[in-house]
Amino acid sequence: MAIPARFHDGLTAAVRDVALDYEKRGASGTLIIRDPVTAMELARWPAGNLYTVNAPRHVLRLAATGQPTGARVIVEGREDIARIRATLPVLAHKAQQETRRQVRIALTATLALASVIAAYLFGVPLLATRIASVVPPAWEQSLGNTVAQQMEAGLAQSGGFEICDPNPQSLANQALQRFGIEAMRGSGSPFTLDIKIVRSDIPNAFALPGGRVYFFSALLDRATSPDEFAGVLAHEIGHVVYRHGLEQLISTAGTGALIGFILGDMTGLSVAAGLGSTLIDARFSRLAEREADAYAASLAHRLDFNPAGLADLIARVSEDDQFAQALALFNTHPLTTDRKAALEILAAQRPSGLEPPFSPAEWAAIRSMCGDPPLLPKIKTP
Amino acid sequence: MVETKANAAVVFTGSQRELAGILLRGYALLVPTIGLYRFWLTSWKRRFYWSHTSIGGDRLEYTGDASQLMLGFLLALAVFVPLYGIFFYLSTLSSEAALIGYGAIGIFVWFLSGYAIYRARDFRLSRTLWRGIRFDQGGSAWGYAWRRFGWSVLMIMTGGLVYPFMAANLWRYRYCNTWYGDRQFGFTGNWRQIAWPYYLSYMAVLIITVLSIWNGAGSGIFPFGLASFNPSALPPLATGAAFCALWVLFYQSREISRMFSAVRLGSAELTVHIRARSLLWIYGQFALALLGTFVLLLVGGAIVLGSLAADAFADNHFDAQIFLGYLQSSIATVIAFVLGYLLLLGAFTATKELFIGYGFWRLVAQGADISGLQSLENVQARAEDKALLGEGLADALNVGAY
Repeated sequence: MAIPARFHDGLTAAVRDVALDYEKRGASGTLIIRDPVTAMELARWPAGNLYTVNAPRHVLRLAATGQPTGARVIVEGREDIARIRATLPVLAHKAQQETRRQVRIALTATLALASVIAAYLFGVPLLATRIASVVPPAWEQSLGNTVAQQMEAGLAQSGGFEICDPNPQSLANQALQRFGIEAMRGSGSPFTLDIKIVRSDIPNAFALPGGRVYFFSALLDRATSPDEFAGVLAHEIGHVVYRHGLEQLISTAGTGALIGFILGDMTGLSVAAGLGSTLIDARFSRLAEREADAYAASLAHRLDFNPAGLADLIARVSEDDQFAQALALFNTHPLTTDRKAALEILAAQRPSGLEPPFSPAEWAAIRSMCGDPPLLPKIKTP
Repeated sequence: MVETKANAAVVFTGSQRELAGILLRGYALLVPTIGLYRFWLTSWKRRFYWSHTSIGGDRLEYTGDASQLMLGFLLALAVFVPLYGIFFYLSTLSSEAALIGYGAIGIFVWFLSGYAIYRARDFRLSRTLWRGIRFDQGGSAWGYAWRRFGWSVLMIMTGGLVYPFMAANLWRYRYCNTWYGDRQFGFTGNWRQIAWPYYLSYMAVLIITVLSIWNGAGSGIFPFGLASFNPSALPPLATGAAFCALWVLFYQSREISRMFSAVRLGSAELTVHIRARSLLWIYGQFALALLGTFVLLLVGGAIVLGSLAADAFADNHFDAQIFLGYLQSSIATVIAFVLGYLLLLGAFTATKELFIGYGFWRLVAQGADISGLQSLENVQARAEDKALLGEGLADALNVGAY
């Protein structure tokens, strides 16, 4: 019995109601599309060429290779569809093939993306170092100037920005300069250091691209020994030598692009993009912190200070800041206990008989650069 | 030639439940495919909408393929990688130069999104089959981008007063360049048809805004700063915003109805009639559904986090420090946190699709009628448009619809 269907010939937009017949000769069958009244043949589609295209569950849409691309036979009704599917197992077979093809494409694409991400996670420190190494130092210096201007303007707005002891010939500044020159000796770094002690309530120290190092008075006040101060300063100089500021800028840009690609939002405005970048970038900066620690330890083989003091100072400052500790997952610095252990190993075999980084008079001068240092025992009472 | 309504009408038979199934499966698969399944999800969504929409008794068919979308996205990256380079360079310059640069890029991206929208429409049309014949779009995507960009400049200069002219002009450009087989669409609409509702709504929104600000200033909500903040001024302000929204919906319903009803295909004529209150119903349903989903998710999230980090919630009191300590030490808490975020995001987009996307499609289909369908019988197929590779930029810029 013929099955009623609708027929689009794919050449004109005329629709015909048709009757479907199936003819089997030997191994190959043919779908015959007839006019339902006159039984005239309108088209013959070999069964091997037939395939289904997407349609709601109770509708069957048939197309065939070798026919106009829009040509379709449409059958509605569960029983008729079941009959056709039973007669033409090739339909199920081809649908399965198509599903497998899509799964393969999706799998291949996912694997490719996963390997890009993996390569990125492991390769970016290398990549960023390579890219940073071809950036002209002059450009990095002008970048540092821009950042410094922005930062100084920002600080000036919120409470003021004041450089302590601006006279470069003072005992303290001379000592800092000498320390900087010794720290840079043999590193091959193209930059000239510019170390500034700045009055601020925030216990912090950081380096900008191009050689500027800022040490905030609140951190200096918390240092109990020249070891701690020299350690942190050498650490920041390590950032300058390794060009970490620039590297971080490059890796942040790369991470933003990658996350945008994963989320399909290249404008990168979503929260997820920000969160993802933060998590990945924090990993890279932890690597950078370890490198800078190692640099401080290597300087301690030429000058007599214990680089583990740097971990002590940071631990002391972050102790009162529980919130920062809790956020260590997002934190850019390695945990201080791990850090101290690593530094102690690095500092284990320091040669004896080295010059101290600062004479007692110089250390006293540095401590009073921002005015009289507060009395030490009063600060920390646990 | 008289056609019965049943035969000529546009019928949409898709159920929200089926769409929900597609979305649920799609979002679940987004996780293991690192987001790449979005191209398949888009394709399935379109197959759903298209195949459940029939015109004159024949369903539409979406013939597009996920890998085409993916390839298009990859090609669009070719535009974005240099843009990223420029962005990076700008971020290292002095703040004035960077601001000017960001502004320039923003304007360029706005211009580009016109191109992207037009190309995406071309992709969808050329992958739409009805009665065995494909739709298509001619015209120039760059031409459309310039046109749209020029109009937006005029919009800013005139404070939005030029909008009816812009809308009519862009609708005309889109439809006069749309083809069904070898037959070209036409557009009989003009600015006069939307001028009244537009300027009326414009004036109404303006008056309401001015009144609210005046009223708000009187009750001291605006002298910025929390000290002088007066919460009793909020309800009138919210009422003002609600009235503005109603006027926007009123205008939206009129523009959709009148502009769609100006679309012609030879002697076949489309009429669409939708009411503002139907739009309001859609948005109202969306708001309620979103509220319900989020309450459920938050309760669920609190239970999960409560069992993972129980002592942070001890004594009926949430202790942020202990909780943050868990974030640091317990990977399970972090994963639960990230999953929770993804769930919230997924719930939002799914609810939006289920109520706004679906509701809007159904509304237009239900309100649509086409006369003179029989005149289309002798439309002939045109050669395949194979030049198009995915929607590319539209995907990358997130401007695609449906």
